[in-house]
Amino acid sequence: MPVLMETKGLSGGYHDDIVVKNINLRIISGDFLGIIGPNGSGKSTLLRLMTKALVPRNGSVWLDGKDVSRLGLKDFTRKVAFVPQDTIIAFPFTVEEIVLMGRIPHMTRLQSETKEDRAIAERSLSLTDCKHLMNKNIDELSSGERQRVIIAKALAQEPALLFLDEPTSHLDIGHQIQILDLLKKFNRENGITVVIVLHDLNLASEYCENILLLDKGAVFAEGHPDDVLTYQNIEAVYKTVVVVKKNPMSSRPCVFTVPGESVCRPR
Amino acid sequence: MIRLAFRIKMILLLSFLAIAIIIGLSSGSVNIPFSELFRLENITIAKIRLMRVLLALIAGCGLSVSGIALQAVLRNPLAEPYLLGTSSGAGLGAVVAVVFGCNQSYLPAAAFAGAISSVSLVYAIARQARRIPVQALVLSGVIVSVAISGIMVFIVSSSPNEALHGLTWWLWGSLEVYNISLLITVSIVTIAGVAVVYIFSQDLNAISIGEEEAIHLGIDAEAVKKVLLLTTSLITASLVCVSGIIGFVGLVIPHIMRLAVGPNHKTLIPASCIGGAIFMILCDAIGRTCFAPSEIPIGVITAIVGAPVFIMLLKINQKVR
Amino acid sequence: MKRLLLAACIAARALCAGEAFASGEERAIRIVSVAPATTEILFALGSGSELVGVSQFCNYPQEARNIEKVGTFSQPDIEKIISLRPDIVFCTGLEQAPAITTFRQLGLKVYVSDPKNFEDLYNSIIEISSLIGKTENGKALVDKMKREIDRIGRIAESNIGSSRPRVFIEFWHAPIMTAGRGSFIDEMIERAGGVNIAKDSKKPYTYYSQEQVFYHDPEYIILAYMQGGADPYDLISKRYGWSGLSAVRNRHVYNDIDPDILLRAGPRLVDGLRSIQERLAR
Repeated sequence: MPVLMETKGLSGGYHDDIVVKNINLRIISGDFLGIIGPNGSGKSTLLRLMTKALVPRNGSVWLDGKDVSRLGLKDFTRKVAFVPQDTIIAFPFTVEEIVLMGRIPHMTRLQSETKEDRAIAERSLSLTDCKHLMNKNIDELSSGERQRVIIAKALAQEPALLFLDEPTSHLDIGHQIQILDLLKKFNRENGITVVIVLHDLNLASEYCENILLLDKGAVFAEGHPDDVLTYQNIEAVYKTVVVVKKNPMSSRPCVFTVPGESVCRPR
Repeated sequence: MIRLAFRIKMILLLSFLAIAIIIGLSSGSVNIPFSELFRLENITIAKIRLMRVLLALIAGCGLSVSGIALQAVLRNPLAEPYLLGTSSGAGLGAVVAVVFGCNQSYLPAAAFAGAISSVSLVYAIARQARRIPVQALVLSGVIVSVAISGIMVFIVSSSPNEALHGLTWWLWGSLEVYNISLLITVSIVTIAGVAVVYIFSQDLNAISIGEEEAIHLGIDAEAVKKVLLLTTSLITASLVCVSGIIGFVGLVIPHIMRLAVGPNHKTLIPASCIGGAIFMILCDAIGRTCFAPSEIPIGVITAIVGAPVFIMLLKINQKVR
Repeated sequence: MKRLLLAACIAARALCAGEAFASGEERAIRIVSVAPATTEILFALGSGSELVGVSQFCNYPQEARNIEKVGTFSQPDIEKIISLRPDIVFCTGLEQAPAITTFRQLGLKVYVSDPKNFEDLYNSIIEISSLIGKTENGKALVDKMKREIDRIGRIAESNIGSSRPRVFIEFWHAPIMTAGRGSFIDEMIERAGGVNIAKDSKKPYTYYSQEQVFYHDPEYIILAYMQGGADPYDLISKRYGWSGLSAVRNRHVYNDIDPDILLRAGPRLVDGLRSIQERLAR
């Protein structure tokens, strides 16, 4: 399987801090990669470094064998899309206008949207089940609907690689599943490679083919959920006692939390 | 479908503009019916009014579009063209020139120099390495404006009354045209600036959602910010040095036009050019005729008309939610 | 607290002064003037030597420049004025109102003059002269001014003939400011034999539109502000549309009159009137 994106010795952070240290990563085309880790482990920073939103202090990022720092921003965003945690939009754009902005990487400055652009936008809206919201103002939507619209915008970019930074953390469980099912569908049917930062270990376990566990800016473990989500790894990184068992429905590891009082002390 | 509705709106706006121009040409302290305006004996007055209407058009257009660009770049719906220090800098330049007894004709140049220096100072204070954080810019703009205004008041209070006269012009604005070549220069700068902002419509759309969002859509947010800040500063500085401070236009027209045609900058900018022009021409007509032969400075009219309109907008907005 | 102390000092000094008067001592009166116009009047009344403090802008006559300065026109230095122990303080106008209130609160004698026309000015001069014990000089000054103004007026009448020339006096260029009805300028133009094109304006000092200037087509234009040495004809004719005015075509554009003699409500208004009349005679 071809390597879509690769990082070599990637380090970076904000101001004088180095948050992410020396990360070597390979993202295979068609993968559904989950990135987990405790707060402050550098997950969002890593995403920013990989999507040209932050300039690395050291190391490099390679897309399709090309050094990303030599790639123009528009060329890069024609292949890579990003869905942030939450978006606050100060101006009353309609849903359709927002999704159409996803076509900007494919348009020059003076170009207007073509029929094809509109068709692609409509299709993205259908895929995310937002078509009925098309003419509504973005500030009239609930946060679940808004997230779906932002995902639709990212899809309209027709990316090969889609990054998402905790897209479901503000949503209830129903919406969380809805969005992850959607992403899984795109991954399987359209071949879009998905890299998603998740808070919830079990969701990561269910949906991701590969998991990257970050701790203090470095890779702690990498691989299939069965290999990464062990109670030793989780206790070492999250500093809390857990029990890991197989989910009877999917055979994926399932992490059970152990509240302080019920910790068994070995005799 | 949307595009058809926009075309209709533009046609409507252009018709209003034509009417406003006729009203503007017919208004003045001297009572001349429109049909007789272009007769030979009235031709000088006609020419003067034409120049004024032209300046009103250019100023209305320039200030509205500058306001739009700043509101998008700073992601702040309260941003307006004078936020970054152009107005206070221009005032200081003018007052200093008056106090030093400079020749009348150097006043606009002094005001322009003051405006540009002020903006450069704001920019230099807010800069962080190669980036310009938006919040720092707003803060810096406010502080520099207040500081410069303080210096100006100090200079005025320790000088003879002449400096006060110089201040009045700047403080409330005036669309009188004395110097044709200055008008032409300012018009060229403004039209060019507005064109540049229009070319960046797509970038403005993306940036108004967020700087990082814009980067993820392939737009170099820092470069776009620098270009637009420079452009709006040039437009505003050149307008201030020829017509003084005319408030509310750059703040209120963007909001009104957003309600009328939506926030997409590709349609918002052309619509606001015309909307701003109509507003300015009509306000000037009111200022010139209500208390003839005395004139009410245009800044006073735009404030008196602009404030209630703004409050109305606020109420409409609240109801919509 | 400070105010109380100051008030106590004033009261103490006043008591002493009162004693001095009661005992018949001759003591020179001490005057402070923060109004340039009043300073000129005081000198004309012969009380120049009794002035102990003037504002920064009191620049006429020459001797006034050597007197102790007590602040600007709009911000008189209250503490300095108190320290000079004046018997009376001469002020003017709205801008000085806060200072005037303070002076009165501290028990200082204050005279406020803000004459709007020649009648007011004459009355004001008489009042000022009686306050400083120079009533005779006051009457003499007023008579002298009246006679001179009449004389100039007669010369003007004989020169002008049937049609009075239209005159436009500009006090500032951006925005254009002129003087309308009820101002000294308006009266002076009339006396000098001319007609103020702005006489329909209801306010004494007002903004004016170019259109009105074109409409009235003045035959004489006087620029009453500092030019930085520029040629007035040059400046005016460069303005769009102004080169067609009668005043410009006949080169009757002047900026060589000191604005102070046109604006300061004092004895030099007579000189101002004469200057205007001389120009209208050309």
